[in-house]
Amino acid sequence: MTTLLQTTSMSVTFGGLKAVNEVDFAVQKGQLVGLIGPNGAGKTTFIDGITGFVPTTGRIEFAGRDIGSLPPHRRAKLGLGRTWQSLELFDDLSVRENLQVAAEKQSVGSFFADLVAPRRSRDSSSTDWALDVLGIADLASKMPNEISQGQRKLVSAARALAARPELVCMDEPAAGLDSAESRVLGDRLRDIISAGSTIFLVDHDMGLVLNVCDYIYVIEFGVKIAEGTPSEIQKNPRVIEAYLGHSAEEETH
Amino acid sequence: MKGLVTKFFQWFIGLSALGMVMWALLDTNTRNQFLTGPGLASGALIAAISLGLVVTYRGSGVVNFANSAIAMYVAYVYAVLRRDGDLFLPPLPNPFALIEGVAHKLDSASTLDLPDWPTRISFGPDMQFLPALLISLLFAVLLGLALHYLIFRPLRSAPPLAKVVASIGLFLYLQAVIVRRFSIQPFAVESMPFFSGSKPLKLPLGISMNSDELAIAILVLVLTGALYAVFQLTRFGLATRAASENEKGAVVLGFSPEFLAGTNWVISTVITGLLGIFAATVLRTVDPSVLPALIIPALTAALVGSFTSFGWTTFAAMVLGMQYGLVKYLEAQHHWFPKSAGSAFPGMERVLPLVVIVLVLYLRGKSLPTRGAISSGRLPFSPTPPRWATRYAGPALALAAAVCGLFVFGPTFRLALANSLIGIIICLSIVVITGYVGQISLAQMAFAGISAYLVAKMTTEHNVPFPIPIFIGAIVAMFVGVLVALPALRVRGVNLAIVTLAFAVAVDRAVFGNQSVNGGFKGAPVKVPSLIAQPRDVQYKILGFIAGDGKQPNPMTALFCLVVVVVLCYAVANLRRSATGRRLLATRSNERAAAAAGVNVSGMKILAFAVSAFIAGIGGAVSAYRFGGVTPDKFNYVQSLTFFAFAYLGGITSVAGSISGGLLVAGGLVFTFASETLGVPSEFTLILGGLGLIIASVRNPEGIAGAARQMGQAVQHKFARQRPSGDTADGSSATPATEKAGAH
Repeated sequence: MTTLLQTTSMSVTFGGLKAVNEVDFAVQKGQLVGLIGPNGAGKTTFIDGITGFVPTTGRIEFAGRDIGSLPPHRRAKLGLGRTWQSLELFDDLSVRENLQVAAEKQSVGSFFADLVAPRRSRDSSSTDWALDVLGIADLASKMPNEISQGQRKLVSAARALAARPELVCMDEPAAGLDSAESRVLGDRLRDIISAGSTIFLVDHDMGLVLNVCDYIYVIEFGVKIAEGTPSEIQKNPRVIEAYLGHSAEEETH
Repeated sequence: MKGLVTKFFQWFIGLSALGMVMWALLDTNTRNQFLTGPGLASGALIAAISLGLVVTYRGSGVVNFANSAIAMYVAYVYAVLRRDGDLFLPPLPNPFALIEGVAHKLDSASTLDLPDWPTRISFGPDMQFLPALLISLLFAVLLGLALHYLIFRPLRSAPPLAKVVASIGLFLYLQAVIVRRFSIQPFAVESMPFFSGSKPLKLPLGISMNSDELAIAILVLVLTGALYAVFQLTRFGLATRAASENEKGAVVLGFSPEFLAGTNWVISTVITGLLGIFAATVLRTVDPSVLPALIIPALTAALVGSFTSFGWTTFAAMVLGMQYGLVKYLEAQHHWFPKSAGSAFPGMERVLPLVVIVLVLYLRGKSLPTRGAISSGRLPFSPTPPRWATRYAGPALALAAAVCGLFVFGPTFRLALANSLIGIIICLSIVVITGYVGQISLAQMAFAGISAYLVAKMTTEHNVPFPIPIFIGAIVAMFVGVLVALPALRVRGVNLAIVTLAFAVAVDRAVFGNQSVNGGFKGAPVKVPSLIAQPRDVQYKILGFIAGDGKQPNPMTALFCLVVVVVLCYAVANLRRSATGRRLLATRSNERAAAAAGVNVSGMKILAFAVSAFIAGIGGAVSAYRFGGVTPDKFNYVQSLTFFAFAYLGGITSVAGSISGGLLVAGGLVFTFASETLGVPSEFTLILGGLGLIIASVRNPEGIAGAARQMGQAVQHKFARQRPSGDTADGSSATPATEKAGAH
């Protein structure tokens, strides 16, 4: 098994606050790796750091390459995709166009070709695959404001997948879904893994993460407090204290 | 680390600016040029405009590009009251005038006289200072209320573009009204009674100035202090500050955000108007071409104060006002001052604000918006050009234009056709930068002018054969565009509009105002190949038909413009339909998400600026060939604003919009038709353009082309209602597979 993404004592600092503190972390190719933590633990900031949206210290290695100083779009081109908790679709483009932006490779030559022959045939296989794998092919010609919030979530994930990323970081894809929907989402994620992608899933839906992930990291206040397989995490006393105990208590009520 | 470097630079630049001011004050020679009465007075005028800007911004989040025009307008109200005792009213479009015009057309003996809007309210002659001042300030209050209720309140949740556009419309409208009523000449203003006939004051350190000049400087300081006190110490000020962070905060304090915005609009217009009136009486004149241009230093000063600090704003405004005299002095004294053809480089005093703006914004800007910093409102929709438009409507329209230009139109309309075609080119350049990528560029005519002057140089001095100069001019314009794009990487929205406007003014004064470039009084001639040269009374035989009526202008001139327009229209339409276009629109929609999808956001902005400046450059070059010469008045900042206005009015997001915008430009087909056929005076072009722009920004941000598209869609929906749930998207990039999928 090869290591796809590895951070070595990665930190993110906002003013005086260390939102992510010296985190060592690794994702193996073909795995579904989860990151959990209570609200405000620094989960989204961790994704922002890996994908280049906030400045980081420490080392971030992706596919054997140090990407710590690359801008976000270069990391995306290397195969590091992401979704947003707030979805962030391109509201001016149709669903298919949203996916095409991520799927299509551009070069200087293609700009000049676009001026003359804008509709020349391009490979649409990744776009079609992403629409199919998430079951939203019938939304392709809709505009983002014409579809439901749940459908927008799927489009957001499909856009990240349309680039055929090596690794896709998903920021709280289950937020706002009920438990049935969240199970369907879990199945879809497994489909994506079997199609050859790797997923890094950030969520605070414990059920989803424990069910689908191969390996789990837990952070609290920006510090990694545990890592291991789902069964190890469930038994870890620190996790139970920091997160599970609290949340299990809530669930019983 | 990065933060530290930026902090260091901020301190370094701040301290060196203070150091330079101190140096200018300490040296006797420079002090006498720097701390002068006229310097203080123009500083006070700039401060008037920029304090108004800051109040408006804090109250309603609007950067009011029209604030200089408001200062001018209120000063005119005062000056006319003092001279004639009349309160003049702004002209509004009168539908009756059209009926009169048509009646006159049908029956030239018709003397149909329908009611018109009143033009003035007369208070009788010999109005004294105080009543005139009070009436003017009352007018300022009403103006502030009108601006709030009619324009900016409806735009509260609109994207920054719409607010910038509305204020540009207001700027053009107010300026056009003044020029229409009182001509472009400066208007003499009577001095204030307390100060008339008083001798210059002798102040310490060998400074001398008139008492009214000192008085206005003191007034500015007092008002600055008062504003500071109101905003820091009163509940109203606290609520305004709270509302600018979070409107709920103001509600908690018991103020409605509406009330706060409206009140601040009134405070702003009154302060701007009051200081504008005082400055006009001190300077003894109001000038409809000089005064509105002070928006650039005023915006600069407001930026220095981050649109929040009254003290820093006033300080910067005073320095920017006082530096004019100092720069003129340094020009004359120092050999190190930039020179051009033996004489001092012109317009350096206009370049300084640009430098300050770029430095301030660069140090404050962010390269990507962080969480939640996405604009609330959406930009107007940019439709994919439908297949019928590119396949059939485009060629049909081009053919119709060619037939009209060659065989149908007489001399006047042939000229108008050429003007409209050049207008379309400039509008296309604005569609690429503002419509597709959402970046506001107010410097398009500066790019065009750079290319036009290059064409003049190349054809006359180097005999470069047609059409090579067009490409060279456009490529140079493109590189300049890329240079302007660099600040755009860290600056967005309104701030970018400010940078580009300052750039337009600086280029206008420093390059187009340079005698070695502009050819002095006559303008720079262009050598035009005789086939397309305009002043030729020729006829051609085409396919057995006679083209042209043997009168000037040469019908081939418009045909040449048409060929360029057709090529560019297809290029810009193709851009929208292509992968590059999707990337441009993705950048416009959401920069963060675009970056996450692998789109190089900076690269896309630079590309858009390059393409846009290239197209504008072609427009400038075509204009140079069409007129056979280049004069700076075609390429100044007001022209940039005007074309922006017409581009927006036509529809800023589509090629169809550019075509509508081009038809509307000054001297274009629509207004030529209005003046030639309907008898509407041509000075109304800008009044109607400005008014139309305000209305468009409030009511219909997609412009005329968008309105037509929406109407077409509504009709389609009506007919499609019977069919089971037809798909609603406008067929954008639908491959057969998705069309099938969409039909389910």
